Amino acid sequence: MRIASESNAGTRNPDGLPESIDAKMRLQYEVEQFLYEEAALLDERRFSEWLDFLTDDIHYWMPIRRTTTAKDTENEFTEIGQMAFFDDDKELLTARVRKMAVGYAWSEDPPSRTRHFVTNVRPIAMHGDDVTVEANFHLYRTRLESEEDGWRGRRRDVLRRVSSQFRLAKRHIYLEQTVLLSPNLSNIF
Amino acid sequence: MRNEKWREETGLRAAEKARLPSDFIDVEHGLVDRKIFTDEAIYKDELKRIFGRAWNFMCHESQLPEVGSFFMNYIGEDQVIAVRDREGVIQVLINTCPHRGNTVCRAEQGKTRSFMCAYHGWNFDLNGDLIGVPGLDEFYRGGLKREDWGISKAAKVQSYKGFVFATFDPQSPDLDDYLGWVGKLGLDLMGTDRELVAVPGVQKNRIRCNWKLAVDNLFDWYHPKISHASAIRSGFFDEKLLYPADQMVMLGEYGHAVSGPKITMAEEEALAALSDSERKAVFDSLPGQSWRFTESAAETLGPVGIKSRGHPNIFPNLWVSTGGTQLCLRVPRGPAVTELWWFTFVDKNAPEEQKRKVVRMATHFFGPAGLLEQDDGENWNHSTRTCRETMTSRRRPLNFAMGKGQDMVEVDPSGQSRVETVINEHAQLWLYRSWAEWMEAEDWPALIANHAAEPRGRI
Repeated sequence: MRIASESNAGTRNPDGLPESIDAKMRLQYEVEQFLYEEAALLDERRFSEWLDFLTDDIHYWMPIRRTTTAKDTENEFTEIGQMAFFDDDKELLTARVRKMAVGYAWSEDPPSRTRHFVTNVRPIAMHGDDVTVEANFHLYRTRLESEEDGWRGRRRDVLRRVSSQFRLAKRHIYLEQTVLLSPNLSNIF
Repeated sequence: MRNEKWREETGLRAAEKARLPSDFIDVEHGLVDRKIFTDEAIYKDELKRIFGRAWNFMCHESQLPEVGSFFMNYIGEDQVIAVRDREGVIQVLINTCPHRGNTVCRAEQGKTRSFMCAYHGWNFDLNGDLIGVPGLDEFYRGGLKREDWGISKAAKVQSYKGFVFATFDPQSPDLDDYLGWVGKLGLDLMGTDRELVAVPGVQKNRIRCNWKLAVDNLFDWYHPKISHASAIRSGFFDEKLLYPADQMVMLGEYGHAVSGPKITMAEEEALAALSDSERKAVFDSLPGQSWRFTESAAETLGPVGIKSRGHPNIFPNLWVSTGGTQLCLRVPRGPAVTELWWFTFVDKNAPEEQKRKVVRMATHFFGPAGLLEQDDGENWNHSTRTCRETMTSRRRPLNFAMGKGQDMVEVDPSGQSRVETVINEHAQLWLYRSWAEWMEAEDWPALIANHAAEPRGRI
């Protein structure tokens, strides 16, 4: 790895990411802190505060994954516009949060106990105010006496700088399961 | 002490075994024994007597566009491959190699030239013929006739307007006769006069419940106000849409039924008062529904069917849902596990914006993340679990008596019959009554001879 010097601290590689190690570390730190704080909000069920972490044009999407042969893996995930598990804008995410708040949301009452783990965080592109970030996640859920569900996968997020703070502008969630082994997806990934 | 317990338990089991399926369903009082939702022996019998005999939904023809296109599904718990062969004919192959039983296909969909077993390399043509055997001359030395060892297939494969069904039972009536007018109406409520195509992506997820509880729920217009209260209260759904008082039920032979809201007289009058373009605008505002304002729809659905906005079930487990834009299969995966498979359809010739609306509606209503569906599974899970509890299961049958004995079946001059009433449980009870007939019949001729005709008069 090339050691960054003061003189090239401001330069960018083709993905728009900074080249200097200091700038990279700073970006990594900012991105991770944002994702960790966001995960904490979700696990603490502070959903309306979580909505404030989103841009108004957020696209929150989870395609369907299929078991395909090795030579057909380009058809593994459904595409935008085809069927998906989630295909939400801010209005729909707000409706989901409102739904949990109004009472009688039986899938979340009693509430699920969740824990979000976010790892392998990699900023992979930066253009203007937008940073594209890949991360692995594990969302663990237990409910009632002894029900357990878990989802692992990859998220591709776009974090946008809005008045010096990150906001989530895109979250595309790629699960490992094809047949979901959980009875529902009533939680936020 | 232990011996006595054992005697008591096995004694009870023997007594239960002596009961006939119809003993579990008290049609007169609308009661259903909880045992049918949990018992392993009953479940195994269902796989043979219901799924092994019925016409099971495989896929839509648009999912098999080319020679070699395939889609994996199940008949009961037997995995099958629906595939378009070299003649363009849809075959349903049982996914097991006749040599050692290994599967010959492991992708859930795709396109292939043949199905080669990954164990020893037996290779099967798209129509199931055995076309390749490594060492046929060298090792078998003339002792294996390829023509005797093709892959096993469903007994019959037939389509109704593009929807492909298969049965394992050669004695079954043809699909048209099996569906009858109620089953056909159910599928026609998808707007089958249009060029329907399946949207890529079948949502699949697993619920910890008995499959029948998931099926009887689709007729259930009593639960939305409570089960889906949060979706209503959060403003996502109109209470009137989810809990309409005016209901219509159509009951068909072999267990098919349509149950749910009807277009009321007041609504009909309001619609009649509109101009053609205003009326079209009303239907256009409902994604995927504008076809219902066509003369061909009125002709296809008939004078009673055209008024239905209810939920059809093609017995045993195919729900026509979401205003006819979706199908949901309740796939049995054990007495207490059911997979829900959601198929979504659009009119190929509809404007892109309309198609997009249908897809978004489907994603937001149903599937595991759907604002409606996410609250259903836990109820069915708990219903199944409590039916397992020995004491309750023995003593308290479940109540399916809503409306029992209080409604009349009316027959339209067209021959279409229906019950027009308030929220009720007629279709659910019909489902369980039919279930008992299927379970009791020794074979298709017996079922044909002994199943209940469409009810008439008081119900």
